Amino acid sequence: MTAPAYLALALAVLAAGAPLVLLVGLFDRRAASGVATLAAAAAAALAVSALGAAHGSRELPVLRTLPPGIDDGFGVAFPSRIASTPTTLAIALTVLGVVLAVQVYAGWYLRSDQRQPAFMATVSLFAAAMLLLVTSRDLVLTLVGWEVMGWCSYLLIGHWSGRERPRRAAYKAFLVTRFADAAFVIGVVALIAIAGSSDIDAVNLAATSSSALTVAMIALVIGVLGKSAQIPFQDWLVDAMEGPTPASALIHAATMVAAGTWVLSQLAPAVHAAPGAAWVLAISVAATMVCAAFTAFFQSDVKRILAWSTISQIAVMLSPLAVAQTADAGGAAATGHLFSHAIFKALLFLVVGWLAVLAGSTAARDLSGIGVESAFARGVWGLGLISLAGVPLTVGGISKEHVIDSASWAHGGEPGLRQGIVSVALLLTVALTAAYATRAYEIVAGRGAAHPSSHTSAPGGAEHRAEGEHAGAAGPAVLVVLALLAAATLAAGLVFLLGPLDPGAVNVALLALSVLLIGVGVLVGWYLRPDDARPPARMATLADRGFGADTAYVALVATPVLALARAVAYLDREVIETYVRGAGVGASLTGRFAAHSHRLERVASDLIWVVLGLLAVAGVALWG
Amino acid sequence: MTPNLVTIDWLVLAPVLAPALGALVVLLADALAPRARGAHLVIALMALGAGLGALPYAVTTATPARTLCLTGPQARCFYESGPWGLGLQALALGGALLVLLMLGPGTRHLDRAQRGGPAVTVALVLTATAGAVMVPAARDLPAWLVAIELATLPAVALVALSRGRGAEGGALALLMVALTSFAFLAVGVSLWLLATGDATFATDTLRTAFDDPARHRALLLAILFLLAGLGFKLSAVPFHMWTPQAFVVADEPVAAFLATVSKAAALGAAIVMLAPLIALNAADDPRAQSIRLVLGVLAVASMTLGNVVALRADDPVRLLAWSTIAQAGWVLLPLAMLTPTAVSASVAYLLAYAVGTLAVFAVAAAVHSASEGAGERSLTAYAGLARRSPLLALVLGLGLLTLAGLPPAVIGVVAKVVALQPVVAAGQWWLVAAAVVNIVVGIAVYLRWLLVVIRPGEAAGATRVPVRLDPGLRVALALLASALLVLSLAPGLLIGFVR
Repeated sequence: MTAPAYLALALAVLAAGAPLVLLVGLFDRRAASGVATLAAAAAAALAVSALGAAHGSRELPVLRTLPPGIDDGFGVAFPSRIASTPTTLAIALTVLGVVLAVQVYAGWYLRSDQRQPAFMATVSLFAAAMLLLVTSRDLVLTLVGWEVMGWCSYLLIGHWSGRERPRRAAYKAFLVTRFADAAFVIGVVALIAIAGSSDIDAVNLAATSSSALTVAMIALVIGVLGKSAQIPFQDWLVDAMEGPTPASALIHAATMVAAGTWVLSQLAPAVHAAPGAAWVLAISVAATMVCAAFTAFFQSDVKRILAWSTISQIAVMLSPLAVAQTADAGGAAATGHLFSHAIFKALLFLVVGWLAVLAGSTAARDLSGIGVESAFARGVWGLGLISLAGVPLTVGGISKEHVIDSASWAHGGEPGLRQGIVSVALLLTVALTAAYATRAYEIVAGRGAAHPSSHTSAPGGAEHRAEGEHAGAAGPAVLVVLALLAAATLAAGLVFLLGPLDPGAVNVALLALSVLLIGVGVLVGWYLRPDDARPPARMATLADRGFGADTAYVALVATPVLALARAVAYLDREVIETYVRGAGVGASLTGRFAAHSHRLERVASDLIWVVLGLLAVAGVALWG
Repeated sequence: MTPNLVTIDWLVLAPVLAPALGALVVLLADALAPRARGAHLVIALMALGAGLGALPYAVTTATPARTLCLTGPQARCFYESGPWGLGLQALALGGALLVLLMLGPGTRHLDRAQRGGPAVTVALVLTATAGAVMVPAARDLPAWLVAIELATLPAVALVALSRGRGAEGGALALLMVALTSFAFLAVGVSLWLLATGDATFATDTLRTAFDDPARHRALLLAILFLLAGLGFKLSAVPFHMWTPQAFVVADEPVAAFLATVSKAAALGAAIVMLAPLIALNAADDPRAQSIRLVLGVLAVASMTLGNVVALRADDPVRLLAWSTIAQAGWVLLPLAMLTPTAVSASVAYLLAYAVGTLAVFAVAAAVHSASEGAGERSLTAYAGLARRSPLLALVLGLGLLTLAGLPPAVIGVVAKVVALQPVVAAGQWWLVAAAVVNIVVGIAVYLRWLLVVIRPGEAAGATRVPVRLDPGLRVALALLASALLVLSLAPGLLIGFVR
C-alpha cells in the first residue's frame, strides 16, 4: 500500500468512527469513549504505517460522480486527488497525535458528562475533516474539509448548550466564520474558474498576476482570516473558550485555526502571484500578532491567555506566507510553525484543563499557586511556555526563528515595506510573547497570591466558569499524555533535522536579537504583571473584554443587518403584500360584481349579451 | 355506367360513420327488442371503439388523410383530416366514450338514468359525437354547417332529458342561443360565399377575395360573423351565458359532454375556418389585424370573466361551467396569433383541459348523489374527501391541478406553456400579461376547491360517498386517472400527438 492509501484509510476510520461512537453511546458511554479512542489510535497507527510507504497521490473515488476522462460538461476538471509528501505526512501525524491525545484526555475529562459520546463522535468527525484538508490536493476536497470543520467547531464550542454563554459563543463562532467562509467559497470558485481545474497544482500553475487572481486570493485570504481568528474576526476564538477544554485544545492546536495556514501554504505560489492579497494578509497578521500578544498579557483567565496567544501565534504562522521572498520559503516556514504550535498549544491547553479541574475554575485568581506543590505540573506547564516563548532549541524556538528569518530580507531581494512592517511586528511579538508566558508561569508556580481556597467570587469584568468539576483525579493515561507532549516540545525539534520539515537557515544576528528580546520580555513580564489578588486594573478589564470587539461586532454588523432585515420585512409586509392582498380582494370583488350581473338566468338576457357581443365584434371589424 | 363523381375511402370516413351507424343500430334495436335495455351501451361502446380504432388508419395513409375527392386535375377533397384534426376527433370519440361510461344508460343504477330511456340517451350521444367528429374534417361550407348543428342539437336534447329540476329551462337557454348563433353562422357562410364565390374553405379563392379591396370588407365581416357564431359553441364571452345555466341543470356527465366533446367540435370548426387564412400568412398581415384583435379580446374577456366568477361559485358544477368559459379563453389565446404552431398549441391545450375536466366531472358524478338537484350541490360536500375516499380525492386533485397548471400535474403546466409560447413568440405582451394574471387567479379558483378536499374534518353538509360506485364510473375514473398520470410523466406524448 502507498502512503496516500494509508492516509485515505485513516480518514475512513475516523469518519466511520463518528456514527459508530454515537451508536455505541446509546448503550454504554464508557464503551463509546473506548471506541472513539480506538478509532483515533487506529488512524494514528495507519499514519505511522505510511511512514515506510512510498509517497505519491491518488484519486479519492468516493467523491467522483463521473469516471475519469469523461467531461463533466462544465469544462472544469475535478481530479479529487489526495496526496502524501513528507511534509503532509508530518502534519497529518501531528494532527492525529493531537487528536489521539485529546480523545484520551476527553475520556477522562468528560467522564461524568451525559453527552460525552456526542462530543467524542464530533471530535472524530472533526479529525477526519482536518485530515481530508491536510491530504487534499484538490480545492473541492479542501472546501469539504473546511466546511465540515466549521460545523463541528460549532457543535464542540456549544457542547454545553444548556447554558447561555456557550450557546452564544457557538452562535458567534458559527456566524463570524460563516461570514468569512462566504468569501472563502467565492475565492475557491474563482480560482477553479481561472485554472479550469480544481486541482491545487493546476491552480498554482495557472496563477499569474492578474486582477482576477488578486480578487480571488483576497477573497480566499478573508476566509482564512475568519477561520484563523485574525483581525477583524479575532473575537470569536476567545469566546470559544466556553467549550470544554479538550475542544479548545483540538481547535487551537492542530485543526480549525491552523487549517487556514495549511490551505494558504498549499497555495503559496498563488499568494505570491497576488501582491494585493499578500498585503491584506500582511496588514492583518502584523496587527493581530502584536495586539493579541498585548491583550493576552492582561487577561484574568488563563484559558483566555492561551486563546489570545493562539490568535497571536497563528498570525506569526501566517506572516511568512505574506512576505517571504519565494513562495516555497514562505510555505515551509508557515508549515514548520504550524507543526510546533500544534504540539505546545495542545500541551498548554491540556495542562490548563487538568489544573482547572483541581482548582474548579480557569480564572487566574483561582489557579494562583496551584502548581506550587506539584513539580510535574510546573514542569509540563513551563516546558509548554518555554516553547511558546520561542526559546532556542525548543520546537517553538526553531520554527519561530525560521519564520523571522524568512520574513526578513536576509536572503537578498528587495527589502519592501511589507517585509519591514511584518518584521518589526514579529520582533515586538517575540518580546510580548515572552512577557505573557512569564506571567502565565508565575500564576501557576508563583507563591505571591492568596491561597486558592480563600478567594471569593470573581469581580465584575472578569467572567470565569467552573468546568469538569466531577472529573476527579487525572488517571495515569492523562499524565502520560501530558508527559509525552511535554517531551515532544523538546524532542520534536529532531523532526526538523530529519528532513520532512525545513528548519530554514540559521541567521546568527537574528537569533541573537530574538534571544535578547525574549530576555527583555521576561523581565517586563515579571515586573509589570497584573496582581491577580487585587481587583483588575482598568486595562485588564478592557483586555478581558477583547477591547470591545464584541460590542463593535454587534454595533457595526449585527445591528445594521438586523435593522436592514426589519426594514425589508416591513417593506415586504406593508408595501409588497399590500399589492398581493389587493389583488386578492380585487379579484374577489370583481367576481362578486360579475356574478351579480349574471344573476338573472333568463333567455332574454342571454340573447342581449349575444347581440351586444355581435355588435362589438362587428364594430371591431368595421373600425379596424 | 358513368364514372364516379367522387372517390370515397370508407376507412378514412370510419371515425364519422361508426358512431352515426351505431346511433341507427341502437334505435333499430330499441324498436325491435324494447326489453334489451343493456344492449345499447354495449353497441355504443363498440361503435365508439371502432371509430377510435379507425383513426390510426387515417394516420398511416397520408398526411393529411383525404377522401370524398372530386376527380380531375383540380382535385378538391371535402374530407380532410390532418394531425390536429385527428387529435380533435380522438378527443371527441374518447370523451363520448367516457361520458357514456359515466352515464351508464340501461345499467342497474336506474336513478342515474336520463328521462326517455337508455336508447334515446345513447342515440343522442352517438349522433352528437358523429357531428363533432365530422366538424374538424369538413372542408365545404354546407357540410361544415350541418356538422356543427349535428353536434349541437342532440346535446340540447340531452340537457332537456336530464333528471334535475329545471332541466327544460336550461335546455331552452341553450337552444335559443344555439339558434341565434346558427343565424350568425348562416349569415357568415353566405357572406363567405358572396366574397369568395366558393363553397369550400380553400386558400386560393380566399386569397383572391382577400386581395380585392371591394370583397375584402365582406370577407372580413363573414369571418367575424362566423367567429361570433362559434363563440357560442366555445362558450367565449360574451356568448357564454348559456353555459352555467345549462351545466347546472344537466346531469354531470352531460355537462362533461358539453365541456369536452362540444368544445372539440367548436375548436375544430374554428380551425377549419381559420386554416386558409393562416395559410395566407395572416399572422403578419395588417389587413388581418381586426381578426387577431377580436380573437385576442374574446380570449382575454373569457378567461378573466370566467375566472373571477368561478372564484365565487359554490356549486361545484357552476364552478366548472365558469372554469370552462375561462379555459375557452386559453384555447383561443394561441389561436389569436394565426400561426401554424398556434393551431397545434390550441389543440394540445384543449386535450389537456379535456382530460382534466372529465376527471373532475367524473369525481363530481361520484360525489353528488342522484337525489341532489341543482342548487343543492355545494363545495362542502367535498370536506374531508381525502380521508374518506383517498383515491377519489387523488383523481380530483390531479384534475384540478391540471386545470390550474400546477405540478405535480405536469401536463397542466406544459399545456399552459404550450399555449403561451406562440403569444410570446409573436411579442403580444398585453396578451401575455393578461394571461399571467389569469394564471394566478385560476390557481386560486382550483385551489379553493382542493383545499376543501384536503382540509381535515367533516363539514355538516358532507355527503357519504356510496361505497360501491357504478362499474362504468369506476372504469372511467381509472382510465382518466391513468391518463393524467401518464401524461404528467410523459407530457411529450400529448404534444407529439398534435404536431
